[in-house]
Amino acid sequence: MNITVNGDELEVRSPGLTSLLRVLRDELDVVGPKAGCEAGGCGACTVLVDGAPRRSCLTAVAAIDGAEVTTVEGLGAADDLSPVQQAFVHYYAAQCGFCTPGMVVAATHYLDSGGSDDRKEIQEALRGHVCRCTGYVKIIEAVAAARGGNFDLTTTAEGGYTTVMTGDAK
Amino acid sequence: MAKHTGRGLAAIEYPSGMNQNGDPSQAWIKVKPDGRIDVFSGTSDIGNGAKTIQSQIVAESIGVPYDWVTFDNSNTDSSPVCTGTFASRATVIAGNAVLKAAEEVKTKLLEIASAEMEIGPQDLDIIDGEVQARGAPSLTMDVADVAAAATYGHGQLITGTGAELNAFAAITNSETGEVDSPPHAAISYAACAAEVEVDDETGIVRIVRMVQAYDVGKAINPTLVEGQIEGGAVMGLGLGVLEDSYPYYPSPDHRGSHFGSYFVPGMEDLPQIETIIIENPSATGPYGAKGIGEMANNSQPPAIAAAVHDAVGVWVTELPITPERVLRALDAKAAGGGQPRREGKHIVFDEELSVNSVASGISWTSDS
Amino acid sequence: MKAVGARLPRYDGVGHVTGQTTYVDDFRVHGMLWAKALRSPVHHAAITKLDTSRAEAVPGVHAVVTHTDVPQLEYGHLSGLGIPADEPLLAKDEVRYMGQPIALVAAEDLEAATAGVAAIEIEYEERPTLWDVREAFDSDAAVVHRWGNWYPHFEDEMDRRQIRKGDIQKAFEDADHIIQGVYRPAAIEHVPMETQVSMVVPESDGRLTIHSCTQAMYFSLGVISAHLQVPLNKLKIVGGTVGGGFGGKVDTASETITALAAMKAGRPVKWRWTREEEFLASSTRAPWHMEIIDAVTSDGWILGRKMLTLHDSGAYARFSPYGLTKHSFHHTGAYTIPHLHFDGYVVFTNRVPTTAMRGFGVTSVSFAVETHMSRIVDELGLDPYEFRLKNANRIHDTSPNRISYTDPSTVDVLQSIAGATGHDLAPAYAAATREPREGEWLPDHLVDQISTEGH
Repeated sequence: MNITVNGDELEVRSPGLTSLLRVLRDELDVVGPKAGCEAGGCGACTVLVDGAPRRSCLTAVAAIDGAEVTTVEGLGAADDLSPVQQAFVHYYAAQCGFCTPGMVVAATHYLDSGGSDDRKEIQEALRGHVCRCTGYVKIIEAVAAARGGNFDLTTTAEGGYTTVMTGDAK
Repeated sequence: MAKHTGRGLAAIEYPSGMNQNGDPSQAWIKVKPDGRIDVFSGTSDIGNGAKTIQSQIVAESIGVPYDWVTFDNSNTDSSPVCTGTFASRATVIAGNAVLKAAEEVKTKLLEIASAEMEIGPQDLDIIDGEVQARGAPSLTMDVADVAAAATYGHGQLITGTGAELNAFAAITNSETGEVDSPPHAAISYAACAAEVEVDDETGIVRIVRMVQAYDVGKAINPTLVEGQIEGGAVMGLGLGVLEDSYPYYPSPDHRGSHFGSYFVPGMEDLPQIETIIIENPSATGPYGAKGIGEMANNSQPPAIAAAVHDAVGVWVTELPITPERVLRALDAKAAGGGQPRREGKHIVFDEELSVNSVASGISWTSDS
Repeated sequence: MKAVGARLPRYDGVGHVTGQTTYVDDFRVHGMLWAKALRSPVHHAAITKLDTSRAEAVPGVHAVVTHTDVPQLEYGHLSGLGIPADEPLLAKDEVRYMGQPIALVAAEDLEAATAGVAAIEIEYEERPTLWDVREAFDSDAAVVHRWGNWYPHFEDEMDRRQIRKGDIQKAFEDADHIIQGVYRPAAIEHVPMETQVSMVVPESDGRLTIHSCTQAMYFSLGVISAHLQVPLNKLKIVGGTVGGGFGGKVDTASETITALAAMKAGRPVKWRWTREEEFLASSTRAPWHMEIIDAVTSDGWILGRKMLTLHDSGAYARFSPYGLTKHSFHHTGAYTIPHLHFDGYVVFTNRVPTTAMRGFGVTSVSFAVETHMSRIVDELGLDPYEFRLKNANRIHDTSPNRISYTDPSTVDVLQSIAGATGHDLAPAYAAATREPREGEWLPDHLVDQISTEGH
């Protein structure tokens, strides 16, 4: 079997029923996709298979022989971040970062397939991706603003509904 | 068959640092020959932002740009003791350790600069990577040049160490719980107003809006503070209406073993969250900071419980407030039950839940 | 530019969004073995037989670790605070909760490790269980812990945490209303997106490199060195980057056992818990049972509080005595109450041991106190803000432990919420401050609650 991962065509030696997640992480050393539950319940392992988001933990590698796989590593590098990656930095949409690889992949697909900046539509499109840290607020803000990119990465955005009140120092 | 809106309020407080203190954090810093700063701290970053916050404290207190600071918490060989990232201590306790280490570094940099510039160190300050003479801003020396002079001219390694330890607050009377000193490093306060919508047909409680105010002392990074408050609010929502390790507590049966059978809040559960950050500086935290990471999920459950009562007139005091519990409470109310026992000046709720009703080994009244 | 107060980006933000941040499970070393645990399938039992010889013979298995391999089987995480040890690293002759680890098998791959676990011969003799903390004190209750059904080692060997202040009976006599309620928040899971995981590499100099997801590297260093009976410099913890913790990774849950397997196999070993193990066998936030009886006046002063707390600790103590003490220190919430009578027990059940979680000890009491306050507001027809502002902590008020508050902000946070939600406060309440009590804010029952001592 062969799959193309982030542009590199690679031979797969694992048995065909091995999950794509295990092939990526254990055989091919592509460790961006995370093993959050290995049961399709959290979304941390989400990758694009021929452009469509898939839970790599539920995808038998034999079922995608010859396919093109894009992981978070394939979306952009540190010196060349994609618009969604920039937005996640600028809007502080990642805290511990463990759900982020799947979240960024899913958000990229949502916007690339014409998704809007409407909060309800973003919530619907990304539901099933679990984040335990952020409360999702800043993830939604990031996705809503991401299209176009060009964010200032030396600072972060002010929260949409925040007031800062400075008291009298004692 | 209708949806009812209700509002509820809660106010809370929470300590920074381990209860009764006695929890050390330490850090050390070295300066590279080009003035770049290496911080070694043992504080784990669990997503809370310890790497960011402690780097900001170091940059600020030395007077160099944030991107001059590298932060290494990667192992216990190079980093000194940090009790850990819990007890809302990473900013307050460990932050004070890196602050002290940074202050020592600044003092040493100014001593070298003083020798090089022939100006007393008390007349120098470091601003944005540059040593400046007070009152004579044209007299400057780059910190990079100071560090090079230390390394190649003075034969010195510029380092700083910091250790923070608040003395253990011992309980001096086991009967009364008196302690011999404050058992916390600081205390933060917060309040939450929750607005809910309760469907009296399905029993589903939807959180519509949460307005929250937190006294954080000083927001070292307001964006990270928002992240804690927002994330905590949604965890508090989970506590309030969704999550339960033992759905038939006290029975151990029917535990959720996957995301499909244990319900963490999802993106679709997100209410409107409004945040008010109040800065009443503490006397003890770095730059007046207080720790709020943990308390961020404490105010919502009681605010939600009060809002549910405001909406449909029932008190659900076992969490989470599931549809089943709401419907059972509504049924009891419709049948004329669910009211407290009123006797003289006594108003007694929840008698069926009390130890007095369930067991005989312990009793609990206002008379003993 | 100023760094403190600035909205600077996360130090590790670019690493997170590019998938380059390295968590424990992302490390790979040559020759690494995978581990799988034998966990108790029953809630409470004597172990009558434990034989690992067939497991050791399974092809691909390199080491099977049991209690006999642990130099110090029990170590109290908080022994420094006087909380003695009660929990074996690996079960010896008894299991007290379903999911309790009994053995760890390290093998070439997970399949061989799983086959090794299945080949361990073990027999159990089941024992009675206890689930309801309210029944723990009954004479016919099942006994679930060697100390009995509740923790007996508070200061002076007291079997409960007490707070006593003022005269609670006088408060009840003086009160216009005595309002009683029961509050029971649930156990919940921490659910970090990264499950418990560790990888231990035996180094050529005899040291162990321990890749750990701990929230507390030095805390874990101490725990591991105590169990292994080695000095701290034989161990190097590599960590600091954690995929969520929320308190559950203060427990040193996997590292020590993985280290024993690596030492026995002489090979690097990784033990990563499945999501199912994380849900079912890792610690939870504790379920709590709290009963409050408040003495209040018709115009909304809280004169006294009597409170009973039963803290469901699960099968072992872990951090629960600490958590209950913290709970007791905060049982008046953000308010000043002069007459207090608090009794709290750490109760053992056959549940997975409970542990620290975000807001440890206080999340529970915040729910109980504030829901009770809301009930008082409703029963007495009070304003929810004004009732709270009236009793709010002020500067120089004293805590349940008789410590003077220096910078309380109950008043500030309530006023700002009232403002943000459009709730009109009566002029006196709108003008209230956190400054020391005087005039109408200093009723007779609070006169002796003001102190500038003990800051």
